[in-house]
Amino acid sequence: MAAKVDHAQFRLIIPSQTRYLNLVTGLAKRASLAAGLDDATAAKVSIAVDEAVTNVILHAYHGEGEHSVELELRFTEVALEIHILHSGQGIRGDQMVLPDPKEYIKHPRKGGLGLLLMSRFMDEVQFKADEVSGRNECCLIKKIS
Amino acid sequence: MADLSIAVRQIGDVAVLLPAGFINAHTVREFEEALEGLVQDGRYTILLNCKDLNYISSAGLGAIMGLIETVREHEGDILLSNLQENVFAIFDTLGFTQLYRVFGDEDQALAAAVPGRKA
Repeated sequence: MAAKVDHAQFRLIIPSQTRYLNLVTGLAKRASLAAGLDDATAAKVSIAVDEAVTNVILHAYHGEGEHSVELELRFTEVALEIHILHSGQGIRGDQMVLPDPKEYIKHPRKGGLGLLLMSRFMDEVQFKADEVSGRNECCLIKKIS
Repeated sequence: MADLSIAVRQIGDVAVLLPAGFINAHTVREFEEALEGLVQDGRYTILLNCKDLNYISSAGLGAIMGLIETVREHEGDILLSNLQENVFAIFDTLGFTQLYRVFGDEDQALAAAVPGRKA
């Protein structure tokens, strides 16, 4: 018997290649609108998802394109949750160091802004690791007010 | 439609770059090469007219950040105009609107970049 879920959810699995980023951000934007978020907020969610998936492809998988990235979208009564799962190198929540924008502007450099955008544009950003399966997860949550 | 196309115009001393589409980790190299090409040609005053730019991720911001010091060392600058709402939100959220001069349209930006030119 199939398991029942108490909220709408669906999954998308993509190869770990940046060419699919546009597809993923388009999906995130449309999912946000379907969840009841406005246009501006939906755009921010799509940017956060772009950053999270880019991190997985470039850092967790070191740019190797033969792996997979799984996105699970969950629509609950109070929030849109986007779970990004992978089997690459993980990051723990306590390793998430956000750059100070004021310092960044004083000393410009490439990189380091993706996590900051994710944390500013989402209500919650969580990193989890499943030691049994070896899979890692980045969970992005946007509350529906 | 390609994810990103880039047009360049020269107006006086100002190189106007018009990216159209999406700048993300997939397309950023093309954007970076366009910017680097201008700097290598000695065109240090660059206006990014973003009227057709639908989206920019941190990869694109990094490309701009990577050249800002170089152009300013040569008494040039990188200016921004015609930002769509979501693109402006990215720049503003990160405080980049304090670092770059942002204008409503291209004429205003050119007037600021070229003293004596009317908007």
